[in-house]
Amino acid sequence: MLQTSHSIECAISDDFRSGGLLQLTIIFIFDSSVLICRNYKGDVDMAEIDHFFPLLMQHEEDGLLCPVLSRGNVHFMWIKHSNLYLVSTTNKNSNASLVYSFLYKLVEVSFCVMKYFKELEEESIQDNFVVVYELLDELMDFGFPQTTDSKILQEYITQEGAKLEVGKSKVPTTVTNAVSWRSEGIKYKKNEVFIDVIESINVLVNANGSVMSSDIVGSIKLKTMLSGMPELRLGLNDRVLFALTGRDKGKTVVMEDVKFHQCVRLSRFDIDRTISFIPPDGESELMSYRINTHVKPLIWIESVIEKFSHSRVEIMVKAKGQFKKQSVANNVEVRVPVPSDADSPKFKTSTGNAKYVPEKNMVVWTIKSFPGGKEFLMRAHFGLPSVENNELEGKPPITVKFEIPYFTVSGIQVRYMKIIEKSGYQALPWVRYITQSGDYQLRSNV
Amino acid sequence: MPYLGSEDAVRELRRALSNPNVQSDQLRYRNTVLKAIRAMSQGVDVSDLFSEMVKACATVDIVQKKLVYVFLCSYATLNPELSLLVINTLRKDCQDPNPMVRSLALRNMTNLRLPSLVEYVEQPLAAGLRDRAACVRRVAVLGWAKLHNLQPDAEIDAAVVNELYGLLRDPDPVVMVNCLRALEEILKKEGGVAINKPITHHLLNRLKESDVWGQCEVLRILQRYHPQSEDELFDILSLLDASLVSPHPPVMAATLGLFLGLCSGLPAVSLAALERVRGPLLAACGSTSRETRFTALCHIQLLLRSLPGLMGAHYKRFFCGYAEPAYIKQRKMQVLVELVNDENVAMLLDELKGYCTDVNPETAQAAISAIGRIGRSYSDRCLEILTGLLGLKQEHITSAVVQTMCDLVWVCPQCSDTVCSALEGCEEMLQDSQGRQALLWLLAAYGERVSSAPYTLEGFIDRVRSEASLGVKMELLTTTMRLFLCRPSETQDMLGRLLHYCIEEEMDMCVRDQALLYYRLLHCGIEETHKVLHGQRSDPSLGVLIGRPAEPINQWAYSFNTLEPLRQAGVETEPASRGSPEHVTFDPKPNTDLSDTLNCSQIEKLGTPISGQLLPFFFAEPLKFHQVGWGASVHSHFQISPEMFNRVQVRALAGPLKDIHRVVPKPLLCYLGCVLRFVVLLEDEPSPQSEVQSALEHVFIQDVSVHCCIHLSLNPD
Repeated sequence: MLQTSHSIECAISDDFRSGGLLQLTIIFIFDSSVLICRNYKGDVDMAEIDHFFPLLMQHEEDGLLCPVLSRGNVHFMWIKHSNLYLVSTTNKNSNASLVYSFLYKLVEVSFCVMKYFKELEEESIQDNFVVVYELLDELMDFGFPQTTDSKILQEYITQEGAKLEVGKSKVPTTVTNAVSWRSEGIKYKKNEVFIDVIESINVLVNANGSVMSSDIVGSIKLKTMLSGMPELRLGLNDRVLFALTGRDKGKTVVMEDVKFHQCVRLSRFDIDRTISFIPPDGESELMSYRINTHVKPLIWIESVIEKFSHSRVEIMVKAKGQFKKQSVANNVEVRVPVPSDADSPKFKTSTGNAKYVPEKNMVVWTIKSFPGGKEFLMRAHFGLPSVENNELEGKPPITVKFEIPYFTVSGIQVRYMKIIEKSGYQALPWVRYITQSGDYQLRSNV
Repeated sequence: MPYLGSEDAVRELRRALSNPNVQSDQLRYRNTVLKAIRAMSQGVDVSDLFSEMVKACATVDIVQKKLVYVFLCSYATLNPELSLLVINTLRKDCQDPNPMVRSLALRNMTNLRLPSLVEYVEQPLAAGLRDRAACVRRVAVLGWAKLHNLQPDAEIDAAVVNELYGLLRDPDPVVMVNCLRALEEILKKEGGVAINKPITHHLLNRLKESDVWGQCEVLRILQRYHPQSEDELFDILSLLDASLVSPHPPVMAATLGLFLGLCSGLPAVSLAALERVRGPLLAACGSTSRETRFTALCHIQLLLRSLPGLMGAHYKRFFCGYAEPAYIKQRKMQVLVELVNDENVAMLLDELKGYCTDVNPETAQAAISAIGRIGRSYSDRCLEILTGLLGLKQEHITSAVVQTMCDLVWVCPQCSDTVCSALEGCEEMLQDSQGRQALLWLLAAYGERVSSAPYTLEGFIDRVRSEASLGVKMELLTTTMRLFLCRPSETQDMLGRLLHYCIEEEMDMCVRDQALLYYRLLHCGIEETHKVLHGQRSDPSLGVLIGRPAEPINQWAYSFNTLEPLRQAGVETEPASRGSPEHVTFDPKPNTDLSDTLNCSQIEKLGTPISGQLLPFFFAEPLKFHQVGWGASVHSHFQISPEMFNRVQVRALAGPLKDIHRVVPKPLLCYLGCVLRFVVLLEDEPSPQSEVQSALEHVFIQDVSVHCCIHLSLNPD
């Protein structure tokens, strides 16, 4: 009993006319019980939440599931995070995109604040429900979002994780600070900044081998371990800067959806294209971008899957590294779908090893290190039962996971990172580049 | 929820809370309070602990304070008298040197939601507005809104309102935005916060300081502002131009909403703004959050109504990933259908064909009907795919294909030959009622060309006793009648059997009435029957998809960036709205042709108890008309409130019907020339009678004076 009955709810209140966001938010669990519930405005009856789960189940059965469920004039907008449902309710014609953004913000912030726990999930909520209550109070008041910056919230929240100490009534410096994302008086013995440039490649390749869509989602992440109030300046290579500002319409790619952390002085960037900022302490994402361009798939897969009904399936997969010879892709995983009723697997690989994962109906071919320009082969053989499964099966695509260090597809480069602080200490910047697979799908023709 | 042993638990907690040893040990005291809160969030009723918790409130431990406040806010409304005791502690906390304690006390004071406490709260709130710390001012500003919400009829204190207006200039952006929010709430009756030129300019200048939430709030409230001159308007627009391409979808949407509001008189500017948001919208469609993707797709559908070419070049962005949820796939397909053109049609159809075998039957069905819609413009290619799908011999696919063909033939009669030849032999694969209804409709319309039609019908008639679906039975009656007209020798016998069964044995009044109607019709002679039943088989005027006129932006601007576009989705994809061509057309069509043929003077509802949620109406009117297939236009009118009419069936009868008074309960009409039978099927609970009536009037009877008698008892239960 104790184990099962919980759920969080935060309430948010919403109101299209009078500008609020939501009236209630809940986090639900599998077994439909409410963990935490917060009614921010009191306009929606708390009992309405009881209808959410049956409604969800019913829509799921009918195949009409949708992020908005309605019952009478109460609308439930929900997201799912691991085993929790975060639900907000409203009876107004509210701004949907804002509500969803807020729910995601809630997840993000809870994750940051409860940093002792790896994931926001049922158990971490149970152990930290007081923190969650506090969080819900600080995030939103009367249905209006207030402080949503996780760094600041961490200071507001008096209880750190499950740790209980006698409360100190220290005033968070950020409450009154000019720089809201950084507290004063931070000290490190060794001053360092780690810069990670990470690009994820999303590719969708059709069964006939043509690339249907491809894009790059990049981000620059910082891990700042600097004392005081340092002033940082980041220099990127010109090509990227041109793309960022869209000034060179010729050969460079156009970056869309560029987001900077709030610490970056945008006015300065607009004038002379320097990225200058006072960094938040610890980990943060300095900028993110998306490039929607035709990239050559870094790992190209050719597959021949022959299905002989009632007897066997023969799979031949060829993987080719279409990147520079000097680079090496690490931890490559090629996941090839097989029919759900396949049995007695046999494999032959030119490198790495293949494994059958029956619960996911796929073969996972793992290659620890995959140099550019190389080609590898995997053959698999499965038996099929003589009585055929009549049900229609989906055609899952082949998916690939990989990681290529010291390399970015867009060519983004960090030229310099200048660190200036009043006390004049020496600090070291470290840069790392990684290209990895995002949503990397190649449709098969079975 | 009954909680086993909860009484014991509460007793235990009370004992611990009032134990002086516990109270003296800070950590133990806090842990006990924590236990109580935990019990509360697990659904145990711990309201009995209220007085102990009030005592626990007086502590220096800020953590314990917060815990107690959570408890008090949950149970205050149950214990208004005891809550009075807390007020003192709270008021004392409002003087605390620590701004966090002050804001905490102030917030919880206003969260107690007790009208009796208002007089004690006002003074600290007023002081809070002038507090040094921004976090206290934030809470205080919203506190006034909460007070107002508690007593909506109370007098509004002009001094407070003035002070709130003054705080719009507060250095803290959250205080500024909270003031807007509070004033909106307090001045709701007067139409919200007054937006004049200085306030607008002030807000715009400080827009960048706010976070995403604040920006959205400000942009939304500014929609009420009317610039005094065109110059000012364009100044505002150019100031907001950067926000229009903001990477935050909510800000982008709010800015576009403001643009559309400000430029309602300048369609060219609005269209340019739509072009401008294309990039950010597409980016939102690729967001990692499914809900953001879904919202973006829904809004793209809105935009496409006014600017059909907006996404043309980017159709590949709407291809579905394998693991995407069904609701996104279905929306993407709806968008893809809008984007089809000569260059991409092959690629698009190829892609859609892949979705037809999706494991999720609803997605497969949506893909098939998407192909059907494209078929209006590219019928040959689509029919080839559709007939190919029949070869898969999957029940749900066959059903969806037959329904889609039914829709397609209704719009493109030239497809009928291919459809007729494809129909052979697919009745075995049809299990659901919608699919079978569609098959029957096709057999009725093109029975003379399907050689096996009588055999198919015979099978249906043999099984009619075990047939559960009302719709199938009704459709079966009509189909048999129509087939009888064109192939009498083969069908006479089975028609007789069917009518006999329906009149003598059928329990459902609707089916029985329909059978009686046909029986009497046959008595009037084959000529008359033919006139009545020979309906229109298609409505090509619904036309192709491409080249539809663009709607003005005003048509949808009011619902932009709200919940509405997300919900409309559901209605359109509702499988219940499919079935036979009358119910399927989505394209609205003006109803000009309607009122001139219809000149009806009486409307009468049949007062028989009806199975389930069925609502039959009988229209009687003196003039003759020989047209049946109004379904299309009728349906589009009922779309005005689609939640009310999920499905509309229309049958028209023309000819002298002597015995009509036996069908209509009261012999109201002395000169009955013909009858239009009109059935509205309601999926949900029956709507109030007046709504049904007004919708009917809207459709049929606009400029005719009508005596309406629609009786209640729509639903016997």
